[in-house]
Amino acid sequence: MAAIGSAVGLGNVWRFPYVCYENGGGAFLIPFFIAIFTAGIPLLILEFTVGHWARGTPPIGFKKVSKKWEWTGWLTVLMPFIVATYYVVVMAWCFSYMIYSIDIRWGLQAESFFSSFLGDTGSPLMLGGISLPILLGLIAVWVSIFLILYKGVKRIGKVVALTVPIPTILLIILAIRGLTLPGAMEGISYYLTPDFSKLGDVNVWLAAYAQVFFSFSLAQGIMITYASFLKKKSDLTNNAFIVALADAGTAFLAGFAVFSVVGYLTVSQGVGIDGLTIAGPGLTFITYPTAVSLLPFAASIFGIFFFIALLTFGIDSAFSMIEPITASVNSKWKISKIKATAIMCVLGFFFSLIFATGGGIYLLEILDHFVTNFGLVTIGLLECIVFGWLYRLYRLREHANKTSDIMLGRWWDILIKYIIPMILIFLLVFTIIQNVTNNPYPDYPGWLIFLMGISPLLIITVASFILMKIKGKKEVMEK
Amino acid sequence: MSLPLSAILMLIFGAVVLYGGLAYFVYRAFKGMKK
Repeated sequence: MAAIGSAVGLGNVWRFPYVCYENGGGAFLIPFFIAIFTAGIPLLILEFTVGHWARGTPPIGFKKVSKKWEWTGWLTVLMPFIVATYYVVVMAWCFSYMIYSIDIRWGLQAESFFSSFLGDTGSPLMLGGISLPILLGLIAVWVSIFLILYKGVKRIGKVVALTVPIPTILLIILAIRGLTLPGAMEGISYYLTPDFSKLGDVNVWLAAYAQVFFSFSLAQGIMITYASFLKKKSDLTNNAFIVALADAGTAFLAGFAVFSVVGYLTVSQGVGIDGLTIAGPGLTFITYPTAVSLLPFAASIFGIFFFIALLTFGIDSAFSMIEPITASVNSKWKISKIKATAIMCVLGFFFSLIFATGGGIYLLEILDHFVTNFGLVTIGLLECIVFGWLYRLYRLREHANKTSDIMLGRWWDILIKYIIPMILIFLLVFTIIQNVTNNPYPDYPGWLIFLMGISPLLIITVASFILMKIKGKKEVMEK
Repeated sequence: MSLPLSAILMLIFGAVVLYGGLAYFVYRAFKGMKK
């Protein structure tokens, strides 16, 4: 349940429907399902198996292969910590918007309202002040993460028993309401009408693999950490299938909630879908709120439902990003769970303040671009290399088969050793070429791109080596 | 406006694979727990 909560996040609502629409509508489902079964599920099985086999955090798992690869485990747990520093800011926005939904404060001016809410300076070079509502939202989210995590896995279990079904139910309600609006079918038609000619486009296939990779919380040490808590007899393969299909199923459902409302907006405002922002923060804080304010009745209730759904989807993902690093610190240096969680939450809070400034949204975009396009893909590749090539992969396969009904065959080894690394290398090289030939941030100075995009990745890589070198409590005792 | 037939077919295809698959693996998990 916790793994489902972690995988299902804000991205399911604001990324999948748009990616699907952009890449052939319903036809995108074909490469998407192929990506799920050839990359998503095999990698999930690998991460579950590593955590279950090592009975510990990612640094322990990688160390079991070889002591010199422990740094990869630290890199794996530091990456989601970086993601959490800006992810919680988006959640803080949702928190404020949930309150604003009571009186639909944005009215029909959602775009200018969002801009003034952020204190938007229009440039990442002008930070401006910290927005008070965002600051309060940040405090609320970080305190929630601390309260959920400090007592360990039992409390996580209790929290996800609520935060997984609640947003799903709300999403179903929102989708039903959306589908009853005038123009809804027009939106759904945009979303699902297949364009099979796009299947010949390599970009569509890359988008499918990227979507699966980012959506399943892979390469973030989260699934390894959670699997270490599983019972010895847990069916790892079946669990991987459930997590993958629940995540993809939620994304598919979110498409109906989003596109039905987008269809309503195009009809009620007489604008084309191309003139609307239907992905990312633009969808959540501009397009959807505008549609909510146009609803004939109970508008505020649907606004509140939408933002509660986002908050509850997001909170599982947010605390799952912090759990791997706190569990790793707790396990290596025997620092109490409460202290480790408090340190990481306070550090995370201070780092996230920069994204709460007037220029924060631009800095957030740069960091997110580099982390998702380069950081996570590189870690995924390292996982395949370390466990596929530097360890006897068949042993992990045998470990998974011991407790699973569905037997993994040699096909799984081939996917982990050859197919997935090839896809990830292709994805990485393709993205690098695209970034070099077509600078995504032509208006920003190079030093800013380095500072906000590249340097955090370099810093956590160096930090991973340092954390590996610092002796753990057990090693000091042995000496 | 009604939904084009191709969109309806993709809707059925997506729902069967995702929700049908999910229901099947959840059923397997419960069956395994009973054992």
